[in-house]
Amino acid sequence: MKKTFSIGGVHPNDSKISAGCRIEMLPVPQTVYISMAQHLGAPATPVVSVGDRVKTGQVIGEPAGFISAFVHSSVTGTVKSIGPRPDLAGNKVTHVEIAVEEDEWAEGIDTSETVVREIPRDNAFILDRIKSNGVVGLGGATFPTHVKLSPPPGKKAEILIINGAECEPYLTSDYRIMIEKPEQIVIGAGIMKQVLGGPRTVIGIEDNKPEAIASMQAAVEKLSVLSPSYSGIEVMVLKKKYPQGGEKQLIDAVARRQVKSMGLPIDVGAVVQNVATSMAVYDAVMKNRPLITNTLTVTGDCLPAERQKNLLFRIGVPFSFIIEQTGGMPENAVKVISGGPMMGKAISNLDATTVKGSSSVLYLTAAQTVRRPESNCIRCAKCVEACPMGLEPYLLNKLARNGMMEELEQNAIQDCIECGCCLYSCPANIPLLDVIRVAKGDVMRAIRARSAKK
Amino acid sequence: MNRLLVSPAPHLHVRTSTASLMRDVVIALLPTVIVSILFYGWREIMILAVSVVSCVLLEYLITRFLLKRESTVSDWSAVVTGVLLALNLPATSPWWMVLVGAIVAIGVAKMTFGGLGQNLFNPALVGRVFLLISFPVAMTNWGPVQGFVGNADAVTGATPLGLAKEGGVAAVSSLDYLDMLYMNIGGSAGELSAIAIIIGFIYLLARKVIRPHITLSIWITVFVFSGIMWLADPSVYTDPVFNLLTGGILLGSVFMATDYVTSPMSTAGGIVFGIGIGLITMLIRYFGSYPEGVSFAILIMNSTVPLINKAFRNKKYGR
Amino acid sequence: MTTTIIWTIAILTLLGVVLAVVLYLVAAKFRVEEDSRIDDVEKVLPGANCGGCGNAGCRAFAKSCVETMDLDRNFCPVGGNGTMKKVAAVLGIEVREKAPMVAVVRCNGSCENRPKVNDYGGYASCRVKAALYSGDTGCPFGCLGCGDCVAACQFGAIRMNPDTGLPEVDQDKCTACGACVRACPKNIIELRNKCPRGMRVFVSCVNKDKGAVARKACKVACIGCGKCAKVCPHGAITVEDNVAYIDFTKCKLCKKCVAECPTGAIHAVNFPVLKNKEE
Repeated sequence: MKKTFSIGGVHPNDSKISAGCRIEMLPVPQTVYISMAQHLGAPATPVVSVGDRVKTGQVIGEPAGFISAFVHSSVTGTVKSIGPRPDLAGNKVTHVEIAVEEDEWAEGIDTSETVVREIPRDNAFILDRIKSNGVVGLGGATFPTHVKLSPPPGKKAEILIINGAECEPYLTSDYRIMIEKPEQIVIGAGIMKQVLGGPRTVIGIEDNKPEAIASMQAAVEKLSVLSPSYSGIEVMVLKKKYPQGGEKQLIDAVARRQVKSMGLPIDVGAVVQNVATSMAVYDAVMKNRPLITNTLTVTGDCLPAERQKNLLFRIGVPFSFIIEQTGGMPENAVKVISGGPMMGKAISNLDATTVKGSSSVLYLTAAQTVRRPESNCIRCAKCVEACPMGLEPYLLNKLARNGMMEELEQNAIQDCIECGCCLYSCPANIPLLDVIRVAKGDVMRAIRARSAKK
Repeated sequence: MNRLLVSPAPHLHVRTSTASLMRDVVIALLPTVIVSILFYGWREIMILAVSVVSCVLLEYLITRFLLKRESTVSDWSAVVTGVLLALNLPATSPWWMVLVGAIVAIGVAKMTFGGLGQNLFNPALVGRVFLLISFPVAMTNWGPVQGFVGNADAVTGATPLGLAKEGGVAAVSSLDYLDMLYMNIGGSAGELSAIAIIIGFIYLLARKVIRPHITLSIWITVFVFSGIMWLADPSVYTDPVFNLLTGGILLGSVFMATDYVTSPMSTAGGIVFGIGIGLITMLIRYFGSYPEGVSFAILIMNSTVPLINKAFRNKKYGR
Repeated sequence: MTTTIIWTIAILTLLGVVLAVVLYLVAAKFRVEEDSRIDDVEKVLPGANCGGCGNAGCRAFAKSCVETMDLDRNFCPVGGNGTMKKVAAVLGIEVREKAPMVAVVRCNGSCENRPKVNDYGGYASCRVKAALYSGDTGCPFGCLGCGDCVAACQFGAIRMNPDTGLPEVDQDKCTACGACVRACPKNIIELRNKCPRGMRVFVSCVNKDKGAVARKACKVACIGCGKCAKVCPHGAITVEDNVAYIDFTKCKLCKKCVAECPTGAIHAVNFPVLKNKEE
């Protein structure tokens, strides 16, 4: 029996339309805007000034706190302005605007395509490379990777899980890198395994991606013959179910362990990293290459087959440029999403730029995405069945609308992972997650205020 | 360029809606409806028509003119109530009795609580039990009624459970289980054919409208409990297969105990709910004064649902 | 027959007596000592339980009054000075009169003034919408139009104007309880003093963007030009973060700023209409 997580989950149609499209290089526009808030935590502080000439891969933003990350220029050019600019949700964020010139990489970066397999022995050196090259988790949360790879004292990683689930419908960028760059991913996994002191290492992939599974297995076999650093890395086939790629769900699926409420994966000895992060770790450590490119999927049912793309893009390229380069927005698309259709963000402003965590430009039609009017809850319990955290969304919705904070906390609203299964499965179209997400924020604030007082 | 649509995630949604789920329940009821029309003929068509039309019309009138809200008849739930009520009545029922049942079901059991989703008790069952208590003679008048197939005598007389209550095990010893599977010797329309109900059950499961836990726990409880009693004294207590196939157990367990609104939310709760229904049904059948107890059992367990929802919850992740 | 009746009556009477004793003992054991003045204060309160005073309800307000014995920090906005005088009488302390207030919506971004740039398709709640993004117009500061303030108002004093998509306050019904002020995630609604006949002058904009950006998003935005501040003879106007604010404690309703504002962001309402309109 293939493994999967034990509670809840839904089965949306996986719609991996662009799975067969090779990764192509996206051209560079004349101007890029690099956001200083591309990671979880405090936005970076710009360290360049207007008029400066920057090279590709040069640091332009420094971390402003423990949970923060370096930001690098993804192009060569002149800094034209530094200032607030709306992100994809219209909120103002500091961006560095760079007028692009001919590409010239900063010193010390290995830009060749040769695969380097010998892992450096010095873990401090590795962590420093990961940190200074601005690597963050590319699975969605963009949490700084070096922080996650340095477990707090007294905690030890017993299992490293490389997340190749890509459980969100439509997205295929992780799938393509698993097919096209499997060695780099496994080397990245080997690096992280060494840093964490050699825990059991598992690459989890859902069973709807047989080619990726084969490709990763072949890479693991090839590398484990070459060096003992890679022996023992397993590829585990998981039964397709959303949200398998959720950190807590993946730990449950792979290791049969459950993270306690308000706890961290490391509390149960687990560290989860996405396959794209693993590749970024490889680039950072072996090539000293900062995280300035990523892969994204351009897809949607309304997009003709020849315009479906998997693109390697320079971070900081505006969405409007990607859309223009791939033939414009389809006529009947009403919504553009950055990320998957279950947890991604609807873009309100196409001039916003891509960030490290951007994983797609997904077009949806009105028939797919316009919500139908809300009707009475018929207590069908479909949300209860669907919730992968075992919560009761119908109840949380009711409590939240009445502002019952204590009851919300008793009913574990703070455990909600905002995966969207409840709203997805509700036949009465009740905006469960919309209501729960805001109430969860209130409860979390109350909990934090309480623990700050203590 | 058109304006972009912006909303919080998730951006996709299942295709099912309240209306599609309720419509599936109606479709699942069709085999039973067809069998009942075949055996009870024009009278059954009249009962179904009066029941469905009055339920839908009442819901429309009450929502529009009494509650002054948008009408909710398009969600098909009133149709489900109408069909279920009709299937729970003897084919001899006069039209005015059906109408009274519909008024109680929709007007009292459903709308006074606030409409679909708010009611504590299954509306069709409240309608039926109201009629059973108010008109006990009419509600146990099993024929003769001429159907489209067979002669009237074949489906005339008391129900098997009625016979067992009156004359003990000996009175029903001549009955054949195969007859019960296809059609009963007597009873309300919905009790005629076990096969038709099971076809509906499989359809509901295949369409993922319901999960099987409530239904199965009722069946297992009835089977085990009556099995123990039968083994203890086969001359007094009817056997387990007889108890599963006769009366309203099948219709009740597949279509009425699984009613979303009046059943528990969690799996464990559903199983407790089912066991309760099975036990109460068998206690009424063996020791009560009524020959059949499914309706009462479901209504009694309906009243415990809020408590069950508090006491039996799904396991939460990491807790 | 007679004995049955007698027995029945006897048993029931006995049962009644026993239960009465039990009830009395339980009541005595779990009795909560509370200052009786709390009840007295509660009696003179309006009983709306609106939470406008900042307490959970009227009883909590009464408790707060009794515990602090300070009526400057406890004020019932619904009952106003009349109620507060009664509270003061109950507690036997002095109370200072407060000027009556009214809720004022400081956004004039109607559909015409502030065109939509995208469509919102989620749950119609300002809080949900504000948590998601900057809104469906170019102005990230203005009214989101989902009516959280309308839902928060216990007195039916706010309604959405379907033509402008903005909330309107009925100043006769408004008790200045402040529920709408707290409900608005954009902090657009402010309690301002209720001048004679409801006359007031205020800046109907909270946009902190630079002038050009604000103006592009909305025709009637405050662009922070500072002309009003210069012309104000009472020093009531300050410009901070590109937006002007009129201090209602200093404003003398001279309306000089209204004429000066280049975008028409300053509103003067409820002034008597002059017969000979000056041009």
